[in-house]
Amino acid sequence: MLEIKDLHARVGDRKVLDGINLQVPNGEVHAIMGPNGSGKSTLAYVLAGRPGYEVTGGSVLFRGQDLLALAPEERAQAGLFLGFQYPVEIPGVNNVYLLKAALNAARKHRGLPEVDAFEFLQLVRGKMKLMQMDEAFLSRGVNEGFSGGEKKRNEILQMLVLEPALALLDETDSGLDIDALKVVAQGVNTLRAPDRAIVLVTHYQRLLDHIRPDRVHVLARGRILRSGGPELALELEARGYDWLLAGETA
Amino acid sequence: MIVPAPVLPTTRDENWKHAPLRGIERLRWAPPTALTQEARLAATALLGDDPPQGAISTRIVLVDGLHCPDARGTAPSTATGVGPGVAFHATDAPAQPGAATVSIDLAFAGLNRHHRQGELRIRVPDGETLELEVVCIALSCGHPALRIDLGARATLRLFERHIGATGSLANLALSVQLGHGARLEHARLLQPADGARHFETLEAVVGADAQHRMIQVTSGAAATRSTALVALEGAGADLGWHTAVLGAGTQTHDAYVRVTHDAPAVRTEQGFRGIAADRSRIAFNGHMRVTARAPGAHSAQTLRGLTAGAAAEIDLRPQLEIDIDDVRASHGATIGKLDADMLFYLLSRGLDPATADSLLKWAFIADVIARLSDPAWRSRFEDALAPLLPGAHAARSLT
Repeated sequence: MLEIKDLHARVGDRKVLDGINLQVPNGEVHAIMGPNGSGKSTLAYVLAGRPGYEVTGGSVLFRGQDLLALAPEERAQAGLFLGFQYPVEIPGVNNVYLLKAALNAARKHRGLPEVDAFEFLQLVRGKMKLMQMDEAFLSRGVNEGFSGGEKKRNEILQMLVLEPALALLDETDSGLDIDALKVVAQGVNTLRAPDRAIVLVTHYQRLLDHIRPDRVHVLARGRILRSGGPELALELEARGYDWLLAGETA
Repeated sequence: MIVPAPVLPTTRDENWKHAPLRGIERLRWAPPTALTQEARLAATALLGDDPPQGAISTRIVLVDGLHCPDARGTAPSTATGVGPGVAFHATDAPAQPGAATVSIDLAFAGLNRHHRQGELRIRVPDGETLELEVVCIALSCGHPALRIDLGARATLRLFERHIGATGSLANLALSVQLGHGARLEHARLLQPADGARHFETLEAVVGADAQHRMIQVTSGAAATRSTALVALEGAGADLGWHTAVLGAGTQTHDAYVRVTHDAPAVRTEQGFRGIAADRSRIAFNGHMRVTARAPGAHSAQTLRGLTAGAAAEIDLRPQLEIDIDDVRASHGATIGKLDADMLFYLLSRGLDPATADSLLKWAFIADVIARLSDPAWRSRFEDALAPLLPGAHAARSLT
């Protein structure tokens, strides 16, 4: 699904990614953990094509395609979804329009006709029920006036409607209370499928209590320092990152 | 007797600094003396099959300032069901430059009086309600004139449109008088054709407890200049004035709105949204004046501009002039570019850049259009803007 080789990137004059190597096969959930400022969100933005994040070396293959050669919207249309850590508010653009426009953009890319209006609403209502969201959210501006938890639910709702091949979820658990975390986790787990992959960027084991990862990676100083199974996250929870960083320095 | 035309302003005059005045002295301001059959056909063609808006079944069409009852309109006479209060009155002779021309801000109104060939008078008697659409079509040169007079507790829902032919010239004069407790819902859609020039002067007097709701969207034309002088003269008079302007190419859109709060407990809410693309220039000068006769007045003004072109210019000028302490007044003006974070968010959801761009521009002006209470009117505005913001118009169909 995703193959990152020796990826280097910078933001302005600051080098942030310093040789990332990562493979995410179909059907797997990978968690990326790491201390603050290690480059986790930068990696997510680089993969999504955010302007201002300059790739200075390396390659990324997404479903066999050169991801870095694609514009941000082409990456999305090809099946990549970024769940934002801080979803932006867009007053005046309502949720339901964005959902439909995004879905139709993806369908167009796949050579499918625009979604039928009735079927679309049925689809969205079903997903909203899963996310325990009130339908009133549909007619509101995108994330406008939403609480932090509502924004994160809205991100997952979009993901569920779009059914991406690869979901990058950047600290989707931040700002969520326990109940909301369970709902969001349930939404993410719903998406698990043999032909999809999910990359979770998180600080905390608690998300992984609800979404069991196949692999856990530690990203620090712009590189993957350690990879392992779910037990690695538990070890990080217990020991922190210092022992890994000390080993890297040594 | 030859009546001299009024003196026109220059950009050296206060309140006219950004006005599209270059070359106006060379324009041919004299309108045609009568409507030819060719003009009637052209007007009908411009209107197309577009029906009157919303619940409105009565439309009045003025072509180059002259009434044109056969251009898919209804004749404003007693025989048409419009009512005795709506009629086009032909002018016999040009007016002398009068007191109105003393103020340079009323120069174009004076020019209108000098050249106008008639006036559409809309009078709604006490307690009655009228819905009406007025379409002003500019084919060559016209000086349309509208006078609105609402009696006590009368209501008028007026949908006013301005369209025209390429290179046409229009100089509208509109006067409004609202009686005690009257209500005017006034939707204005100004979409002159490419290369056209549109000047207008609006004078309104709002009486006690009367409400004036004005929502206007302007696009198209080579240049527009709107001068509005509103006086809140009755206690409790209430004004809502919301305008959106979309500039493109080398267009210039300039507006000056002066609201005089001149009675106790009067209230104004003014909003402006301007999007300047390409090399267009947009200026809005909102002058809020509160006199010593207006204790308890409330004035709120929010002006916002969006520059969407490397050489685009926006000038927003909020002004407060207050002669009394007992007043609540706020004003603010911001000019910026499209939000990069919002743009990336939409792109990350697969929307193409052009659609994302249009959608954000749509969102920028959406709160102006959302103030239209009639869904059919709102729809008409959205339809009119759709070609200017491709891809974004679909947003409204799901709202």
